[in-house]
Amino acid sequence: MARPAGRLRERRRGLQFPVIGWVGLVLVAVFVGLALAAPWLSHYRTTELAGSPLEPPSAAHWLGTNGVGQDLASQILNGARVSLFVAVLAGGGTLLIGALVGMVAGWAGGVVDAILMRIVDLVLVVPKVPLLIVIGTYAGPSLPVISLIIALTGWPPTARVVRSQVLSLRRRAHIKAAVGFGASSRQILRRHILPEVALILSAGLVGAAGRAIAFEAGLAFLGLGDPSRASWGAILRDANAFGGLFFTDAWKWWLVPPLVAVSLLLLGVTFLGVGLEQRINPRLTRHTGP
Amino acid sequence: MRRRYLRAALRSVGLYALTMVAVVVVVFTLPRAMPGDPLAALDDPDNSVYVTDPVVRDKVRAYYGLDKPLPEQFQHYVGRLARGDLGFSIARKRPVGSLLRAHLPWTLLLMGVSIVLASLASFVAGVAATWRRGRISDRSLMTGMTVAQAVPEYALAAVLLIAFAVVLPIFPLAGARTPFADHGTVAGVLDVAWHLVLPAGALTLSLLGTKFLLVRNTMISALGADYMVLARAKGLPDRLLKYRHAGRNALLPFLTVVGIQAGYAVGGAVFVESVFAYPGMGSLILGAVEARDYPVLEATFLVLALVVLAVNLVLELVYARIDPRVGAE
Repeated sequence: MARPAGRLRERRRGLQFPVIGWVGLVLVAVFVGLALAAPWLSHYRTTELAGSPLEPPSAAHWLGTNGVGQDLASQILNGARVSLFVAVLAGGGTLLIGALVGMVAGWAGGVVDAILMRIVDLVLVVPKVPLLIVIGTYAGPSLPVISLIIALTGWPPTARVVRSQVLSLRRRAHIKAAVGFGASSRQILRRHILPEVALILSAGLVGAAGRAIAFEAGLAFLGLGDPSRASWGAILRDANAFGGLFFTDAWKWWLVPPLVAVSLLLLGVTFLGVGLEQRINPRLTRHTGP
Repeated sequence: MRRRYLRAALRSVGLYALTMVAVVVVVFTLPRAMPGDPLAALDDPDNSVYVTDPVVRDKVRAYYGLDKPLPEQFQHYVGRLARGDLGFSIARKRPVGSLLRAHLPWTLLLMGVSIVLASLASFVAGVAATWRRGRISDRSLMTGMTVAQAVPEYALAAVLLIAFAVVLPIFPLAGARTPFADHGTVAGVLDVAWHLVLPAGALTLSLLGTKFLLVRNTMISALGADYMVLARAKGLPDRLLKYRHAGRNALLPFLTVVGIQAGYAVGGAVFVESVFAYPGMGSLILGAVEARDYPVLEATFLVLALVVLAVNLVLELVYARIDPRVGAE
């Protein structure tokens, strides 16, 4: 009993990545696999009336059918594609804007820094969900547009983290040396600062991707999703809006699977983020005290 | 000292006023920045949001006043807002103001109860977890809080709904009070409380995690301080050590997070209300999204932003009052 545990601990130390991070990575990988395999795994188009309404799970319909007879398994599989698409696009966009603003603010300092940080405060304090709803109704329901507005409202936390990192980096000797050799700001940011904030950015990307998944599902749940794509949020919305859902057994295969899917994917992303953070900054977890 | 406090307070008020101006500008710009005429659909009989009533159509057109030059539109818009006129609902055919008066109190009740409950619970849990750090109870609390934070609010709400209203039918499925019931005052209050349990429970759960982690982190770094060793050496009881010496350190950052979470709670409330068909702003928004009821959606955003900004401003003023460092640079 003692040996495998000991070996496991040794391996963990060797890889420097905590168990919780691996759990998250596996969960996310499962969803990526399902999303990639969706065209082969789903037997019906998401909008197709493939059976009679509210059919319980069977061999033909793995997760049964919804109130109008669409195949729920196909919709869930396609929902994974939607969620991951938004995660990559909106998460990446968030990171891009956040990193840019953070690096410029941290490096430039002075008035530029002050103005950018006031903008950060301003965006942070405005309630995001009502803002996304208002922009979403005007901007229309296509996934790239939804991803764009999630990125445009979600960058401030990343900007803050990157800025504080740049502030501590610019005092280091090798950066000062680069300045002394006459390197331009752009060159320093690209060649010296960016590689050093890259690790923090990877944790930031995971966090931003998670928030993007949650917001897309939330917007679709409120009726602001792309109606031509079956998103998990949209399945939830249909189930929630179906009168008398709880007077039948249909909630078991209509309401529960999208909830489980979105929760598991978000848990995976969160655990992966926690793992990365512990890997980057072990001091966060190892405290000493009396 | 007093001067400094006043200066810090004025600065906060100015910043929040500026933020509110930015919010109003965004709401004003959005419908005007979209290509084409956003109200064209209202006149088109083939469109799903076609408004049959010509009186309502004219009222909406007049509210936006899109045919006038922009500065005049803005002046007109701000003037209306200042008089408390938030426009006219396309779908409900009522002034938006009266709709808000009917829905906002329920959301404030749900948010207020949840924020207070979550603050108390996370503070006590955070202090307790720090005291037993590294042990099973601390680790399971950490994991539980991380899970509750990661899972979206509507999922928490649906789980509670399924568990305690469907499988075990203890609490009501939906609504904020029993329809058509003629209660006395006491029974009426109890009825509202009974309907509030599950929605507030879901929102509270989603608000716990951040504050819990914050309390735990600040307290752990305080534990190693000299005054903690001294207090312990004096033989003070654990309760005093926990709350008066260590817990105090977490209070100020805690206040800041409560403010940040007010904005978060607004979003959570919208989702939780949608699941429970709770008659607050969430239900109003849900109906307005379906009907593309722009004036209602703009007004809900304006009002919710105002609520969140006001909460943050009050907390910042309190913060400046109790933190001796603010303004004493």
